[in-house]
Amino acid sequence: MKILDLAIKDLSQILRDKKVLLFLVAMPIVFTLFMGFAYNAGESGDENADTRLGLAYVDPQPDSRLSQMLFARLEESDALKVIRLEQAEALDSLRRGEVVGVLVIPSGFGEQDAGGTFRQLTLIAESNSSDGQSLYQLLRVPISQLMSAVEIASISADVQGSPAEFAPALELAWAKWDETSRLERVRLERATARVEESWFGDNPYNQASPGILVQFAIMSLVTSAQILVNERKTRTMQRLMTTAMRPWEMVAGHLLAMFGLVFLQTALLVVFAQFVLGVNYLNEPLGTLLVSVAMCLWVAAMGLLIGVLAKSDDQVVLFSLVSMFLFSALGGTWFPLEASGGAFAAIGRLMPSAWAMTGYQNILIRGLDLSAAWLPTTILLAYAFGFFLLALWRFRKMEL
Amino acid sequence: MNAIEVRHLKKSFGELQAVQGVAFAAEKGEILSLLGPNGAGKSTTISMLSGLLAPNDGDAAIMGHSIRTEPEAAKASLGVVPQDIALYPDLSARENLVFWGKMYGLRGAALKTRVDEVLDIIGLRDRQKDAVGKFSGGMKRRVNIGAALLHKPQVVIMDEPTVGIDPQSRRHILDNVKELNRQGMTVLYTTHYMEEAAELSDHIAIMDSGKVIAYGTHDELIKLVNGQTRIDLTLNVEGADVLDAWKVVEGVNGIDSTDGVVTVLVSDSNLVLPRLFEAAGKLGARITSVDIQEPNLETVFLHLTGRALRD
Ligand SMILES: Nc1ncnc2c1ncn2[C@@H]1O[C@H](COP(=O)(O)OP(=O)(O)O)[C@@H](O)[C@H]1O
Ligand SMILES: [Mg+2]
Repeated sequence: MKILDLAIKDLSQILRDKKVLLFLVAMPIVFTLFMGFAYNAGESGDENADTRLGLAYVDPQPDSRLSQMLFARLEESDALKVIRLEQAEALDSLRRGEVVGVLVIPSGFGEQDAGGTFRQLTLIAESNSSDGQSLYQLLRVPISQLMSAVEIASISADVQGSPAEFAPALELAWAKWDETSRLERVRLERATARVEESWFGDNPYNQASPGILVQFAIMSLVTSAQILVNERKTRTMQRLMTTAMRPWEMVAGHLLAMFGLVFLQTALLVVFAQFVLGVNYLNEPLGTLLVSVAMCLWVAAMGLLIGVLAKSDDQVVLFSLVSMFLFSALGGTWFPLEASGGAFAAIGRLMPSAWAMTGYQNILIRGLDLSAAWLPTTILLAYAFGFFLLALWRFRKMEL
Repeated sequence: MNAIEVRHLKKSFGELQAVQGVAFAAEKGEILSLLGPNGAGKSTTISMLSGLLAPNDGDAAIMGHSIRTEPEAAKASLGVVPQDIALYPDLSARENLVFWGKMYGLRGAALKTRVDEVLDIIGLRDRQKDAVGKFSGGMKRRVNIGAALLHKPQVVIMDEPTVGIDPQSRRHILDNVKELNRQGMTVLYTTHYMEEAAELSDHIAIMDSGKVIAYGTHDELIKLVNGQTRIDLTLNVEGADVLDAWKVVEGVNGIDSTDGVVTVLVSDSNLVLPRLFEAAGKLGARITSVDIQEPNLETVFLHLTGRALRD
């Protein structure tokens, strides 16, 4: 009962400022609409249009083994459209915008062997355009792999004292790269190529809505975690300690307030997305509820920790925003994790925010039933519990 | 059973031994004052009694409940008025009291009635709807006290509740304390104003540098300076050397100077006063005023520590 009273007092203090509602609800709605459009725009256009990046491949000695290896590898890519051209033609079509870049293979490239160092390739592209950047990223990996294959081959030829060993060693190293990098390559290309339309299901808000939901849930801590700092500043926390209330009850009361606020926000955003944007959260109402409750508990527990750690209001804002950026960026709330590269996606998967997204998308995009909500819910609850224990521990150690 | 029983409490902050083995007891229904200058360790002692600080050593009991082994029971019979205002400035006086009442476990009609009663006690019923943040220092102090009274605690601890407020508010608070005590509450009252301790207390514990250096009723404490007189003097010059000269005058038992007033503790003023004039004259200084005081708690403190109590 005291826990509830404390939570109600917290909430009435937070909601006393009417701007907070604007911040909690209006802003995320505007963002959702904007993000929906942004995703839309990103995908619109002719379904059959070739979205591959054009690359002109200029090589005076097209028959060399090294050049063949590289060309074959580039041609394999779904994200590139590679055409062989003479240097002059190539530069012309770059100027006309028919290709995004020109890759110039230096003469003598194919004659590298045990003694030679790797000769520099030249990429001519608009380095500050996003297409130019993408092209560079796409070329970076295969070229550096080719370079290292040459290195490996010349080292092994060196060690064996026979220049004849170079060619077979190169083939072997290249084959290994091809094998191990296949996965890597797919991810990289996905990241740079445009996200496939099918990812969102039939509604572009299917990504935008839960993404913004999770992001702004964390952002709401900017207001709610202040409460704990204020309790210390006004010395009311100290007074509370002199009542018969136990420390865990105090912590639970504040946790409940933060949970209440973020859950209210989430509920309003879900309702808006369902009935205005047609994002079908009610496809699996219980699943949505489970994931939302678990996500809000995790966010609230994190708010508690921020409130305990922060020494001033400024720090609350700082810590909340850092958490928001960290968990949003890594957890795939801004763009699908499926669209990002290897290590990034691997770390992202571990994030509670990613599990919240998975939980929602199982319902919204994959159309799975309630059973698919259990795993994300359980993991989010585990995170909530972990953050809660951390906050409780810091709270007990706090200097009042 | 004593209402408050303090046994050998110790608390250090790093090197600083803020409370060094303090012991005292308050009988049920009495007012006990902790009198001591700033930094004596009064608030630290009280923080331990009210469960805010864990003692390094020793124990205390509130209504027989140990603060170490039964902290919740000890706190339940205790109302604490902290030295610093501990209220929500954005909530009204009434909202504050209602909230704290709930935290003490009151509900419904009982809560409403008690909040009204407390508003009457602290004399703020007509300002109950105003935000506490807009109140004057004295009014805030009164709400600060009110918040500790809601659950009708058997023991109230007040930490310097009259610091920095106007005379009317101070009068109001002192009368409140007496009235609460008349109704049966045991009060532990800390202050560095000896007049307050003298007016309110059944017993007084004098604290200095983390220790209780004297304990007794007002009259018992005055007897400690039996036959001694306190003289307050002013000089026409800044007289550090005069003070040094006076220290060694025969019959001077203590000397201290604050804000240009020199306080001297003497065995017999008729005998010593001429010597003081003479010693000052030798250094070319003139005494511009002499005020012979009845012995009071100030005199006792000077006698015990060689320093003046006033700040
Ligand atoms: N939290 C603390 N950390 C370090 N020193 C403290 C702390 N609280 C009090 N002190 C020191 O302990 C001594 C006693 O302080 P306090 O109990 O507040 O005295 P009083 O209430 O009698 O003025 C002082 O020297 C004070 O500076
Ligand atoms: Mg104090």
